[in-house]
Amino acid sequence: MASSISSSEEIVRDTRQALPSGLRLTAADRPGMAQPVPERDIPQQPWRAMALAVTVVVLLLTSLWEWKMRTLELVPGDLGESYDRWAELRRQVDKRNVPVVIIGDSRILFDSDLDRATQLIGVRPLQLAIAGGSGLPILEDIANDPHFKGLAIVGMAETAYFDLQLTGMRPQKALALSRWESPSSRGSFFIHRVLSHGLAMLDDDYQLSTLVFRLDHNWRPGVIDRRLAIWKAQETSADGQTWLWRRLEHDRRLSERMHSVWLKFFPSQPLDEQTINSVSVRTKVAVDKIRARGGDVVFVRPPSAPDLRTIEDKHVPRARVWDAILAYTHSNGVHIDDLPAVPNLTLPEGSHLSRACATVFTDAYLRDLAGKTPLLHLQPGAPPALATPNCMRPSVADLH
Amino acid sequence: MIFNSLIFVVFFAMVLFLHAMPFPWRVKKINLLIASYIFYAAWNPPFVILLWLSTVVDWFAARGLGQAEEPWKRRGWMLLSVVASLGLLCYFKYGHFLVENFAHLASLAGFRYVPPQSSIVLPIGISFYTFATMSYTLDIYLRRATPARSFLDYALFVTFFPHLVAGPIMRPTELVPQFEVPHKATPDQLRFGLVLMTLGLFEKAVLADGFLGPVVEQIYDGKAIPGFIDSWVATLAFSGQIFCDFAGYSIAAIGAALCLGFALSDNFRFPYAAVGFTDFWRRWHITLSAWLRDYVYIPLGGNRHGNVRTYFSLMATMLIGGLWHGASWTFVVWGGLHGLYLAIERMLRKQFSGYRPGRAAAAALGLLTFLLVNIAWVFFRAKTFHQAILILGGMFGRNTHAQPVLAGVYLLTTTVIIAGLVLAHCSMRNQTLEAAIARAHPAALTALWTMMAFAVVIQHGESNGFIYFQF
Repeated sequence: MASSISSSEEIVRDTRQALPSGLRLTAADRPGMAQPVPERDIPQQPWRAMALAVTVVVLLLTSLWEWKMRTLELVPGDLGESYDRWAELRRQVDKRNVPVVIIGDSRILFDSDLDRATQLIGVRPLQLAIAGGSGLPILEDIANDPHFKGLAIVGMAETAYFDLQLTGMRPQKALALSRWESPSSRGSFFIHRVLSHGLAMLDDDYQLSTLVFRLDHNWRPGVIDRRLAIWKAQETSADGQTWLWRRLEHDRRLSERMHSVWLKFFPSQPLDEQTINSVSVRTKVAVDKIRARGGDVVFVRPPSAPDLRTIEDKHVPRARVWDAILAYTHSNGVHIDDLPAVPNLTLPEGSHLSRACATVFTDAYLRDLAGKTPLLHLQPGAPPALATPNCMRPSVADLH
Repeated sequence: MIFNSLIFVVFFAMVLFLHAMPFPWRVKKINLLIASYIFYAAWNPPFVILLWLSTVVDWFAARGLGQAEEPWKRRGWMLLSVVASLGLLCYFKYGHFLVENFAHLASLAGFRYVPPQSSIVLPIGISFYTFATMSYTLDIYLRRATPARSFLDYALFVTFFPHLVAGPIMRPTELVPQFEVPHKATPDQLRFGLVLMTLGLFEKAVLADGFLGPVVEQIYDGKAIPGFIDSWVATLAFSGQIFCDFAGYSIAAIGAALCLGFALSDNFRFPYAAVGFTDFWRRWHITLSAWLRDYVYIPLGGNRHGNVRTYFSLMATMLIGGLWHGASWTFVVWGGLHGLYLAIERMLRKQFSGYRPGRAAAAALGLLTFLLVNIAWVFFRAKTFHQAILILGGMFGRNTHAQPVLAGVYLLTTTVIIAGLVLAHCSMRNQTLEAAIARAHPAALTALWTMMAFAVVIQHGESNGFIYFQF
């Protein structure tokens, strides 16, 4: 030992001779002395052959797993509910002039077709809605950001927008990440994105532990069924385009289970007046700030299935909430009830539109909004308007 | 940067590549030093300055100590090092806690003091590298060692990335000599290092984060009043989570260092097979408990000045150990409980000094130790005393009207994992991991290594920080 730092070598060597085989001294065995250089023995094993075997078998198993995940309709490039992706999109507001942002919850997130929007209005909206999150914290955030001078389209499932105790946490988490994200976290997300282009298995909803937990078939009476937890619902690309997961459009077992989750998830007792007032006041403050900079805010209420809508209307009736907040904030908006061209759109699991119907709905709400805010203009060469039959499957449409 | 992140895989591959290049040893050490700073800066770049400050202050304090002959001068240099190190620690870790407690005391005395909003960010791993640098100057002050000859070797000892942010808390005498002579891993060291990293990541990503964390959160972060089963299962899950999280990090750190040809100290030795609390603390977070013993317990008098002084030293050491884990009174109570356990054990050992337990008695005492350790974990995990008391109420059957909270699958997975963990600890309590591996059949080992690696791959997901990073 070269260093004069280690002066305790002799003492330790004496103590170690008394050790039984298979044990070695640790710092716990050497009180009040300088600790010597640790010894780490390498167990006698055919490590070379073992490493080779492990590499081959793990690669094989991973390939099989990837194949299995693809048979379950997971797709490469799906970034899921990544906060890192959201934070990256949010930071764009600070870097460039963003003319249109979409904020809100999963409905406006899944039900907006950004390509269609680009064709109609000539700019691609920045999708900042968060599944399971209220749009209010995001609206307040961009209202406080002097860089933003554009149009904010606020999607509003009223329960999500107003019940901040349920829906406020996710936006706060995403916002915190957009304000400060460590270089390590950004680097990891970059690599994750590169990997996810080739691998479908990197889906958080299909992690090993999640799959094991979902084996629970109501095993313990009195406990909420694990399968009634919100599970994979979305497919997200790096540019923020998000759809309802494709498998939910045709797998009835999954879509019905998801439907029953929504029915249990949404509260039916009327929302208290105090919450409505405080959320309305906060909304008005944010709207006024954006307008003071030359921007604007409009609201959109996407569709929900009749049984779900009945529950929502008990909790947050249109007159008390939607109509009231538009009047209070002097804002325009589009409610699904006011879009006669697109009735009976397909909602596979009751709360979100099918991919094809999301395009139709986007077309309808943007055309409507174009007449209601000076910051939104239909392109001269915009494609013709769509209607419900454009998104119905031929067989279903034929029946009608 | 954390071991269970994708960026670390790329970083580590580059470090291994550079370390394998035929550069002069000094260049390799500079590479490792720069890599270690990048490793730390990847979390929050400005805090590298703190690391530099800590390194430089203790370097000069140690040189001063080495040259000074008069006791007062030596004491002065030692105090400079201790005050600078503890000052940093107190400001970043305990500043808010102290101000809050001051405000509370002021309100008790009838004064109203509203502390300013604190925006202090706790630098990752500050408790670990502060203790590492302090051990350098303290060893020189206690004349156990002399100052390192090379600043590069010393700086690398402080910063070496495998142990930097969550230990094992290395002593300079353990690591500096390794940096003085060229080190490169043999092929088998590299492969075994990768085995250890796989084991560490399996414990952390799969067991701690994947299977045990969600169970703990349901009870400890939930609002429901837990009953007997839920309280015990969540607490047992936490005992598994904290072990797999921290021992997983330690074993991955040891593996990462081994891949580069360096040896780090053991930090865990199958602690859930401990019989008694003295035994537990010789097995749990060994490098911290040895640090506290050498630099707190022994200087306070240890067991050399009568019973009262011994119990005082013991309790003070454990309370400081509790506070080291976090700026909260719940951690102090956790430390105090362990101090109490150790004191009672010491009294019983004196009372029954001739007693040697048989196998059954040892098993019963081991079980009792495990249960009492679990009770102490409640204060470690709970965010408030109210929550801790609520969960303890459940564990002692007092929450009679509680509704079941944890799903059946949580009870099953936790039971299987904890039983497996405790059995593994019991079967290996008198040997090292290496000795157990050496005796295993290669086919079984290959299957186990494959299973762990594949489980890590298919668990993937969000890379959660290690629990001990916050300490």
